[in-house]
Amino acid sequence: MIVLDGVSKTFDDGQSYAVHELSLQVNEGETLVLLGSSGCGKTTTLKMINRLIEPTSGMIQVDGRDVTKQDPVALRRTIGYVFQGIGLFSHYRVLQNVEIVPKLVGWPANNRRTRAREILDLVGLPPDEFSGRFPDELSGGQQQRVGVARALAADPKYLLMDEPFGALDAITRDSLQQELKSLSKRLGKTTVFVTHDIFEALTLADRIAVLHEGRLQQVDTPKRVLSDPATPFVHELFEKPTQQLAAFQGGD
Amino acid sequence: MGAGWLESVSNWMDFAIARMPELWFRTGQHLILTGVSTGLAIAIGLPLGILASTKQWLRATVLGAIGIFQTVPSLAMLAILLTLVGKIGAVPAIIALTIYALLPIVRNTVTGIEGVPPEVVEAARGIGMTRRQRLRMVQLPLAMPVMIAGIRTAAVVGVGVATLSAFIGAGGLGQFINRGLALSNTQLILLGAIPAALLAVLVDGVIAATAWGMEPVRQREKHSLGARLKPFALAMPVLLVALGVYAAFGSHQAAANHSGKTVRISSKNFTEQLILGELMSQMIEAHTDLAVDRRFNLGGTMICHEALAAGEIDLYAEYTGTGLVTVLKRPVDSDAERVFKKVRTDYKKQFNLEWLEPFGFNNTYALTIRKSDARARGWRTISDLATSADTLRAGFTAEFSERADGYPGVRKAYGFGFAEVRDLEPSLMYQAVAKGEVDVICAFTTDGRIAAYDLQPLADDRGFFPPYFAAPVIRLDFLRTHPDVRDVLVKLAGVLDDTTMQSLNFEVDEKGRNPEDVVRDFLREQGFLTLNLKE
Repeated sequence: MIVLDGVSKTFDDGQSYAVHELSLQVNEGETLVLLGSSGCGKTTTLKMINRLIEPTSGMIQVDGRDVTKQDPVALRRTIGYVFQGIGLFSHYRVLQNVEIVPKLVGWPANNRRTRAREILDLVGLPPDEFSGRFPDELSGGQQQRVGVARALAADPKYLLMDEPFGALDAITRDSLQQELKSLSKRLGKTTVFVTHDIFEALTLADRIAVLHEGRLQQVDTPKRVLSDPATPFVHELFEKPTQQLAAFQGGD
Repeated sequence: MGAGWLESVSNWMDFAIARMPELWFRTGQHLILTGVSTGLAIAIGLPLGILASTKQWLRATVLGAIGIFQTVPSLAMLAILLTLVGKIGAVPAIIALTIYALLPIVRNTVTGIEGVPPEVVEAARGIGMTRRQRLRMVQLPLAMPVMIAGIRTAAVVGVGVATLSAFIGAGGLGQFINRGLALSNTQLILLGAIPAALLAVLVDGVIAATAWGMEPVRQREKHSLGARLKPFALAMPVLLVALGVYAAFGSHQAAANHSGKTVRISSKNFTEQLILGELMSQMIEAHTDLAVDRRFNLGGTMICHEALAAGEIDLYAEYTGTGLVTVLKRPVDSDAERVFKKVRTDYKKQFNLEWLEPFGFNNTYALTIRKSDARARGWRTISDLATSADTLRAGFTAEFSERADGYPGVRKAYGFGFAEVRDLEPSLMYQAVAKGEVDVICAFTTDGRIAAYDLQPLADDRGFFPPYFAAPVIRLDFLRTHPDVRDVLVKLAGVLDDTTMQSLNFEVDEKGRNPEDVVRDFLREQGFLTLNLKE
């Protein structure tokens, strides 16, 4: 379980807040989507969980332990992270990219090889074909599959995903979303997923947390967020796309 | 025309082939000078660059400091290091080359590390790499191409700068260039310059190939020819190093230091000095059981003197006036006898060095003009130039322009200076005045080219120029253990008058003969090479 309690972050000594007084709980095994437009503080929030960014005030707990009291390197190794853009190491082959975290935590070479191949299979990249390639020998979708595989390799309990599919074309994105959904159900990871894409949020989320200008607007299941928007912002956010969708379906 | 061109190429090839053993040996020395200094620069520069990339202020400081070193002209750098290290030869040369190689290596290391995309560095941080792991596993590998480009620049520049290290007796291909400049011998200059250029291309290629060989093979090119060649590319630097070591240490030249009993003889870098060096060497070889280690062509008076005083060499020929003014820093004096006594006493006291009896000739400076000008304008003495001096262009050696007994002293003694003064290589000076590029030069009175180029030395009517009688200067410590060397060198006292020296210089400068051959013929003529002086 991840708990955020009154977390604030300012980059300019309090003149403005990227994240303001945010309290939030991510339950065991659920996928929580942080949704908002760019600059709303969702990525900052995500990065505070594994201490890529330090909060200005408030407390963050992972597994009941205050993250600021843990060694950041050790903490990060227990939390899978999938990066915006790609973030793969272009000088490593696919297999080396995937086995990097097990290697950092000191698994024996044999174990991490086997594990990396398993995970590659799991994300739909047959290892015989792909493990020897370099990232620039892969398509964008395949690269992001490697990104997911890398995050899962050391079997972390938690997964942080920062707009991982943002740069992909719509069709690839859709199939990856579907696969991720079934995968995370199967693996039971506790996941925080950042996106600005409303449909992606609705597809993947067990619960959605809507952020606007650093403040939490609402956190609830997709159904409830749609049916019971807590603030005018949430209402507006979902109104337009759903109308468009309805109009599109109506015109069919 | 075409045939003439071809002929000179084939002449040069013959010339080069005849000198193959030495060319091979010098190339090896050159490779080692460049290789060791580039290696040291990598060993120092990479950590320094990595350190500099961690903090903004460190970066500015480190790059600034190295940049300043870079601006020191290479000859000045060599001279400074010579004084600091107190040695001639490979050590100061390698230090200088290492300093020059640092800038491209450090700068490219910093640039390379900073050029790694920030999102990749953040990813490395985000998956739990420590600072060290990020550097080792991500930043350095990704910065590698830029770092290697820096090493290539350093190595190629190093091959070029290493030609200058011959000035301080470190050998290498610069030795040919140096000797060629001293002897006005283009073939010799090219014998150093062409292999040095080829070596630069080779070194660049080998480093590029190594870098390519280290790149991992892509999936799609797994079975290509390139993939199969990669291991061979990696072997190339090893071969190059082996080649350098073998050429420098494996060949017969390196064995010259036989049996331990050696006398190290030096000369400055102009014809007369080479002849005198050779003269003393051949006499010692013929009449003692010492082997001679010839360390000729050092770049100037102070380099020779420092090396002698430091015990790096045992002997070279110096001129009394130069000893007085340049080394002892005494005022100019035109009394020959007094000057000799003075340098003899003071050298002994200050440096523990001994002046032996002079060879006989006086190679003083003479302001020299074209004979045609002398006839047309009726110029006979230096004073005759006074009224026209502000229209005359002078071409002087760098040393003459600076020395108290050179141009500054002339201005004071005669009360006029020239419109323009250009620094010229001693070997280019005579041509320059003959071709009318300058009007006055500071010729040496024993130079054979005065006659050859139809030049006229002007009389020193105010008796300004001090006497420059050449004599062997030798370490007293060495003389004590090798008294026979004194006996041999004393035989040379007075054997060379001005005319004889002029003609020996002429043989080398204008007829293009080797100093060794000219000296051997001269010594035979004089009966020194058949007589056994020890009995």
